[in-house]
Amino acid sequence: MTDYYREYLAVAVLIGAGLAMVGGMLGLGKLIRPTRPQPQKYVTYEAGSDPVGGWGQSNVRYYVYALLFVMFDVEAVFIFPWAVRLETLGVQSLISMIVFIVILALGLVYAWRKGVLRWA
Amino acid sequence: MNPGWDFHAIAPVIIITATIVAVLIADFFFEYRGRFRTQQIASLGVLAAMIPIITLAVDGGTREMFNGGFVVDPYSLVFQGFFLAAAYISMLLSVDYIGDGDYYQGEFYVLLLTSVLGMLVMSSARDLISIFVALETISIPTFVLAGWRKHDPKSNEAAIKYYLIGVMSSAVMLYGMSLVFGLTGSTLLSEIADKVRTLDSPLLIVAGFLTIAGFAFKVSAVPFHFWAPDTYEGAPTPVTAFLSVASKVGGFVALLSVVWFGFSPNSAMFQPVLWGLAAASLILGNLVALRQTNIVRMLAYSSIAQGGFILVPFAVASDGGAWTSSIQSVVIYTLIYGAMNLGAFAIVIALARRTRSAEITSFAGLGQYAPGMAIVMSMFLFSLAGVPPFAGWFAKFTMFRAALDANTPAATVLAALAAVSSVIAFFYYARVAREMWFHQPPEGADVHPIRTPVALNAAVVICAAIVIAVGVYPQLFARLGDLAAGG
Amino acid sequence: MILNQFLILAAVLFCIGVYGVLARRNGVLVLMSVELMLNAVNINLIAFSAYLRETAGEVFALFVITIAAAEVGVGLAIVLLIYRNLHSPDLDHVEQLKG
Repeated sequence: MTDYYREYLAVAVLIGAGLAMVGGMLGLGKLIRPTRPQPQKYVTYEAGSDPVGGWGQSNVRYYVYALLFVMFDVEAVFIFPWAVRLETLGVQSLISMIVFIVILALGLVYAWRKGVLRWA
Repeated sequence: MNPGWDFHAIAPVIIITATIVAVLIADFFFEYRGRFRTQQIASLGVLAAMIPIITLAVDGGTREMFNGGFVVDPYSLVFQGFFLAAAYISMLLSVDYIGDGDYYQGEFYVLLLTSVLGMLVMSSARDLISIFVALETISIPTFVLAGWRKHDPKSNEAAIKYYLIGVMSSAVMLYGMSLVFGLTGSTLLSEIADKVRTLDSPLLIVAGFLTIAGFAFKVSAVPFHFWAPDTYEGAPTPVTAFLSVASKVGGFVALLSVVWFGFSPNSAMFQPVLWGLAAASLILGNLVALRQTNIVRMLAYSSIAQGGFILVPFAVASDGGAWTSSIQSVVIYTLIYGAMNLGAFAIVIALARRTRSAEITSFAGLGQYAPGMAIVMSMFLFSLAGVPPFAGWFAKFTMFRAALDANTPAATVLAALAAVSSVIAFFYYARVAREMWFHQPPEGADVHPIRTPVALNAAVVICAAIVIAVGVYPQLFARLGDLAAGG
Repeated sequence: MILNQFLILAAVLFCIGVYGVLARRNGVLVLMSVELMLNAVNINLIAFSAYLRETAGEVFALFVITIAAAEVGVGLAIVLLIYRNLHSPDLDHVEQLKG
């Protein structure tokens, strides 16, 4: 067996260990948990409220969270190229990026101060 | 590798950014009654940003950053000064309108200043990417401002129409820009200018057409104008004043930069399109303005027509020796247009506080019970119409001079069109004046003298002073035009 | 390098987007059509950028992506506002002002 294949052996061991761990956990849970089947438990889960059927409008409240997520998610495209080149760009670019992130974070602080993040 | 930072050159931008942050943070801490302070911080920030502009102007010279993508020269300084002044006057107009029991004061100024930030960057941008980013920084806050009265369906409608047209136009503009980039291999305007000189591709015409069509939406040139009257009517009036002056001139600066620094060596890329836009805006804007009954809609169509006048020098720029006088004309016209249009809107806002109406008939008899207001309003209207000795005549004069310098059949036709439409325009401006001076106030109307808030008065006085001073002594702005065109 | 195929794809996408903006009445669908137009621009930029070996196009595309996100955020907020006031996302119901 060459070194090349031996390195793949490590991958196989890793996959095996992963499968064993997941299987072991689920199997253990199956063994020790109580089972009491009820019809309510088979109803579709819709964030805790009763499902209304069809495809209902999603709650407006999710919109704010989705928006906040998208904002920060998309701004990350500027951070990736910067992070790759950080060593050559030096301290000045670090300061620029800190300013950038602080201004972004202000948006989050704003949302928090206006009570948007409270689930009311 | 490091971009060379020239902090003096970007000081105005930094000051406005710091002001936005300060207003936002201040808004967290002030209680409801203290919210008016956010307005003070915002005004101070705008005034403070004027200081580096003056020092940069005294310093003179050209400062370049980012490989020539961001340039501070007399051209950009003139427009930056204009945008800050227009923003300051717009804030004076908004003080009482927004202050009347409005919870979201801080946000209003944050959005307004963000838009101004985009304008400052736009004045200096010499690169397709930064022009695009600056244009969106101008536009996106104004979408929200147009829909400021959240529970008023009219304001909602103003916002959605403005928004849809705005994003459509940026998509069209971007498609054009992507083609320009593909054909020239650069986003820097100076390099684009080098390439289009020799490049001869039909696709280049398409690219230029699409880019300019995108800008035409922003400056509401016919046939891309149909959002403007609805948005102007539905949005809060101070916001309308800001849209019709600052945001519109922002579009013109973008157009001027792209055409002058980028497309100028290849006149086929922009000249025919701009000629058509100018002619259509002049004719349609003025004719439709004639039959408006709402003063805001009339001013909307009037601003479309004024946009047509500003487009005339663009359309003739590359003929003969007209480049310099065209640039001068665009700069001078936009500056004067800003002062007179803001002034007219200030009076509309002041009167609407009393009559709660924007119909032209609500001006009836104003000359009897509020002669001061009627006099200044007539002044702004006649200035818009181009009657000496108010500043408007000088704006029109520079425009005709550019068209005559070009001295081609196309330019002459356009100049003739502009002359005819100036005459038409006189009628609808004069109609409002006639309403004020020769009609009786309606039965049962409140004819006590109108008390206007201090801030509104200040705005009117500033605009009126500019309109008279420049009208009597045009060298004031002619010098600014020379400086900008020399850069 | 196959440039033309990318440009044709982008042009088709752009046209579908324009059609969607003009023909669709539902506010959310109009927003999605605008996204199509912007993504057509991105395809163009990336294709040119790869063809010309010039990174400016990729940088441009990054800015287009971020600003598109901001635009759609504002747009959804406005559509939501209209939905609250009119109880319908249908843009044909928005016609108080006559142009």
